[in-house]
Amino acid sequence: MISVTPKALSGNENSIDLNNLSPEQKALEIKNLNLFYGGKQALHNISMSIPKGQVTAFIGPSGCGKSTLLRCINRMNDLVDICKITGEINLQGENIYEKHVDVAQLRRKVGMVFQRPNPFPKTIFENVVYGLRITGENNRRVLEEAAERSLKSAALWKEVKDRLHESALGLSGGQQQRLVIARAIAIQPEVLLLDEPTSALDPISTLTIEELIYDLKKQFTVVIVTHNMQQAARVSDQTAFMYMGELIEYSDTNTLFTMPLKKKTEDYITGRYG
Amino acid sequence: MKKWFQSGSPWVWLSAGGVSLSLISVLGLLWLIASRGLSYFWPAELYQFDLTDEKGIHSVVIGEIYDRESIPVSQLSHLNLKLKPNQETLERLLIKTGNRELVSLDFRWLLSTHINKTSTPDDLVVIERRSDGNFYGFIESVILEGKNVGIEQLEHLLNRVEAFQDKIDTLQKVDIGAINYQLERLRLKTRKLKLNNKLTEQAQNSINDEITEYKNQYNILEKELMGFRDEISRDQLVMKAMDGQIVTINFEHILNVTFNNQLNLLNKIQLFFSQIGGFFVDDPREANTEGGVFPAIFGTVLMVLLMTVIVSPFGVVAAIYLHEYAGKNALTKLLRIAVINLAGVPSIVYGVFGLGFFVYMVGGSLDQLFYPETLPSPTFGTPGVLWSSITLAILTLPVVIVSTEEGLSRIPSSMRHGSLALGATKAETLWRIILPIASPAIMTGIILAIARAAGEVAPLMLVGVVKMAPNLPLDGNFPFLHLDRKFMHLGFHIYDVGFQSPNVEAARPLVYATALLLVSIIVALNMTAVSIRNRLREKYKMLEH
Repeated sequence: MISVTPKALSGNENSIDLNNLSPEQKALEIKNLNLFYGGKQALHNISMSIPKGQVTAFIGPSGCGKSTLLRCINRMNDLVDICKITGEINLQGENIYEKHVDVAQLRRKVGMVFQRPNPFPKTIFENVVYGLRITGENNRRVLEEAAERSLKSAALWKEVKDRLHESALGLSGGQQQRLVIARAIAIQPEVLLLDEPTSALDPISTLTIEELIYDLKKQFTVVIVTHNMQQAARVSDQTAFMYMGELIEYSDTNTLFTMPLKKKTEDYITGRYG
Repeated sequence: MKKWFQSGSPWVWLSAGGVSLSLISVLGLLWLIASRGLSYFWPAELYQFDLTDEKGIHSVVIGEIYDRESIPVSQLSHLNLKLKPNQETLERLLIKTGNRELVSLDFRWLLSTHINKTSTPDDLVVIERRSDGNFYGFIESVILEGKNVGIEQLEHLLNRVEAFQDKIDTLQKVDIGAINYQLERLRLKTRKLKLNNKLTEQAQNSINDEITEYKNQYNILEKELMGFRDEISRDQLVMKAMDGQIVTINFEHILNVTFNNQLNLLNKIQLFFSQIGGFFVDDPREANTEGGVFPAIFGTVLMVLLMTVIVSPFGVVAAIYLHEYAGKNALTKLLRIAVINLAGVPSIVYGVFGLGFFVYMVGGSLDQLFYPETLPSPTFGTPGVLWSSITLAILTLPVVIVSTEEGLSRIPSSMRHGSLALGATKAETLWRIILPIASPAIMTGIILAIARAAGEVAPLMLVGVVKMAPNLPLDGNFPFLHLDRKFMHLGFHIYDVGFQSPNVEAARPLVYATALLLVSIIVALNMTAVSIRNRLREKYKMLEH
């Protein structure tokens, strides 16, 4: 793991040059990615590199393709029959769209949290260890340790440690979302994808999750899609602005929000459309 | 008025009316079969009627009042009756007189004008017998080993006979049955060896030794049986019938003797419940018109359980394929329509199919392959409980498929995505997440399947149900569960008792009682399934998204 300078509270002192990352700094590299839903092109020739151990945010108006791009990274778009993809996404130097790639294996490396909390109708404990059970891990002690570690990382341990074996559906929305995050990190992914993780939550739960995201980047590379610009500004190190399926601008968050290069970006962040 | 229509209350009233109508008809149906069926077990008052007919001849009739009806006088004009002026109808009573060995009819109509006196003598008894139906009359004497003894010996002698009868039943069904089973097995073994040309002298001798051994055992048991038979035919009961005729009844034919008119309410309630208990656990007698229905209960439940075991996995697998794996194209749509239409095929058609395909083709081939030694008498190539279960499983398959698919499509895609995003394959997601969540819907399908299968009779008549099965499909002889055997079924029992028995009038209450029992069993099976489903629902209840 590379050491990351924590974002200074006053302003961002980001030393990384996004266009010129060394292979060790890259978590993901997207190259000339095009995506079609049937005849309609949803993503146009997207190329970008996502640095390791940092939070990268995708922002843009509804329907701009930010969630679609996120779903390309763990190949969730495979579930859509009419979806066609060209280009590459390299994870650890390997294109995840190669034929021989095991999708299940890939998804263990690239975890994902969805817009609405989706805990399984099982106990809290079984939810967290689900990914481990899939890999065949049934040792009680290993599972318990993993559950405790993940729930602590997801800042949920204190609230649920006495009711691990109760149904996860009894938790509040914010707790459920943190449970889902715990479930995703229990299998130790390289990259964690968050698809508008706070859009269904109240402001206080949102704040908790944002603090959590800030902590998570110590262990994982985080990619977050959000429609909330303040949130992007608060939590991310890099921000990519997308519009109509194209990547308009991608730079460190401070620069993007204070001195955007493109007119469209400026219009969007000043609230002229969106 | 217009406002009233706009308010929507007419529609509320209309739907409430519909609901109450169906509720009333269900309750009415249950009340009818329950009252008719249960009254069969209630110990009836015994009457003695002194009669004088229009020619002035006196006679006495003893029996239970079975039914009463009023008939228009005009129908009886030929009888030259003494009537009140302007009397248009006349009551007549149907009396169950029993005593089938004396009069061929169990029942007799009495016109109310003929009755001089009605009394309920305390010493009148009804004797329930193994054959020839009930006997009504007065006890003359009890004969123990040829000597006339007092009536106080009656109870003791009845218990003694019952004890011996139990021994005889066990001996015949269990011990001798097992020996016959073994002898048959040895016969088939010999035949099989002969067919394979492996019957050496040595093998033949060892088989013969075994046969001799079993035959010796058989002789011993037979002697024992004969002894018991002598014991129970030792004593007699002498009865006086209604016309003064003296009848001697051997104790071996008597099940119980009751002084119905001496019973108080508590005794009657006791007797009522013991009769119901007997109905549950006894075998039928007298061409099914008397006795219990245990083999039919057993057959019905076993068949339904086997059907459930067969239909559930097939239905669920088919639904999973249709919903999860089959491409969303015209062929799948066609398949789905075909499945739904299968539910509309008349059940007798399934019976014909079951007979032709399962019994003759599959069963016949099984016999050729695995049981050549028993041919030409078939083992599986004849109707039996296995083929019945499979036929009904096919009949109920669409129900399970449709409701399972319904359940699968109700599961939010976020569950699937959540699991897939954690690195589970599609099969793992199905097994660990989708199926548990869909299990209440699967149970709903199974409940509907049970409800349909348990009430189905028509196809079963072709593929395995019989009027009287000599053995239960489950017994103590290896392999214990005999799927090739024919079985009895409550639904068929109702039809048989009600419409095929020699004495329809006497069997009518039994029809209601059996119908009530069938309904109760289906309700019980359903309630079990419903409670399992509710528990699953509680366990896997979904978030209200």
